[in-house]
Amino acid sequence: MTPKASIVGIGALPVGKHSNLLDHEMLIAALTEALADAGLTKRDVNALVFSTPRPYTEQRYFGTFMAGYLEMPMDDILLEVLGNGMTGALAFDIAVERVASGRASVAVALGVNREMHVDTGEHMHLTMRAVGDVDFHVPFGVTPIAWYAFNAVRYMHDYGLTREQLAAIAVKNRRHAGLNPVAQMRKPITVDDVLSARPIVRPLGLLDVPPRSDGAVAIVIARPDIARSLGRHVDVVGRGYHHEGIHQVSARPRSLSRFESAEIASARAYASCGITARDLDFAEVYAPCSIVELILSESLGLVETGAGGEAAAAGETSIGGRIPISPSGGCLSRGHPPLVTPLYNVYETVQQLRGEAGERQVASASIAATTAELGDYNSTMMHIMATGRL
Amino acid sequence: MEQLAYPPRMTEFTRPFWTALGEGRFLTTRCAKCSHMTFPPKPLCPECWSKEVEWVPLKGEGILRSYTEICVAPEMFAKDAPYVLGIIDLDEGIRCMSRVLAPFESLEVDQRVKLRVRQSEPVCLYDFEP
Repeated sequence: MTPKASIVGIGALPVGKHSNLLDHEMLIAALTEALADAGLTKRDVNALVFSTPRPYTEQRYFGTFMAGYLEMPMDDILLEVLGNGMTGALAFDIAVERVASGRASVAVALGVNREMHVDTGEHMHLTMRAVGDVDFHVPFGVTPIAWYAFNAVRYMHDYGLTREQLAAIAVKNRRHAGLNPVAQMRKPITVDDVLSARPIVRPLGLLDVPPRSDGAVAIVIARPDIARSLGRHVDVVGRGYHHEGIHQVSARPRSLSRFESAEIASARAYASCGITARDLDFAEVYAPCSIVELILSESLGLVETGAGGEAAAAGETSIGGRIPISPSGGCLSRGHPPLVTPLYNVYETVQQLRGEAGERQVASASIAATTAELGDYNSTMMHIMATGRL
Repeated sequence: MEQLAYPPRMTEFTRPFWTALGEGRFLTTRCAKCSHMTFPPKPLCPECWSKEVEWVPLKGEGILRSYTEICVAPEMFAKDAPYVLGIIDLDEGIRCMSRVLAPFESLEVDQRVKLRVRQSEPVCLYDFEP
């Protein structure tokens, strides 16, 4: 298994509310932690790939501002990227490619998502324009989570899933988050709590959907030979991507109980490093709602079709189970600062593969996948990472 | 008459769609070259990229593939909440998303629905009902 690039350092703020800090103050905390973790200095970095920050970030051309603030010249590239929910994974993917292609020896994928200082009403107004066709969807009042509710109603009809089974995912992820120092929501919840929570988009209630979050993460990526000279590291060994050419809803009839882009992207990722879904020790996925993690577990080939709810309720996807999913607590409980959530997924994966996940540790974790998506899983990016020992 | 909270933009090209809706007719575009039908209507065929598209009528009937009830809505839609949205596969083989004028509890996946034009301004909208 030939590594394309290796992760040598990680740094992140706990997910939550950071209104007292400005965007650049959040990001320099994550970046300095990551470079220290790597045992590198700013002079070693030749590529900086930022998630574009939220429109609420007062400082525009934020990436260039950061390079100036830190007096960091760049020899390979400096850019901001945007790909909706997939943004952080695109930043990671591009940083990995700069190293894998030989253009950079050390690249950092980083980003800050600061939005908690903006009230939810105003924020919903912004997200409405992102949530579908502004002329043919938004006028009906569709909201970002509505698309996943359509998946839930359809899946429940097709497979007889109950709200209790679905709630098991939210409960499981909250339990995981309770063991995660960077998680936003850590108080244990029960199935009853989930069922009686305020309805948001039926059948999904407040505990089936993610909180709003602030966060900042930096991931330092280096050439594999540099990584090996530095010491502990994690290798990026596989990658798969697919975009369906659909924005939220297809123009033609197609299934609402599977995520075809995830099926295609994961098949490509597994093939890229010669593994199958069964070889994964855990998956740190992008799943903004309980139903998304459920359908995704099937679309990634981790659970049999139609068995997603049963598997979760039986503990198969819990830490200690057959195939832990979202050991961090996931979007629901680790938190969901959208433009950097995929970078938090990498952060968790690296901690696990380095054996540094404490009480969340997946036993003998040696190979894992992260996913990111946009829309109604209209596009999927999967990366496969392995311990440097493989 | 209802003033739409988030009105669609009308363009030179889409004007026939919105005008027809006001007259109770539901249209879309079909490619004159390859017959590919698409929704929403577009000035080029998404399949073959030909610019020769023609307006064709839709029956306004289809199957409700899924639905949800929006309980927490953006401010501009708050006065309508809760309201039901649905994904509808029209009999002509194309899919659209719209409002469904029925209580959430009364609906069943795969039931048949039909168009009901919403009289609103600056344009009418296409809702569906059982």
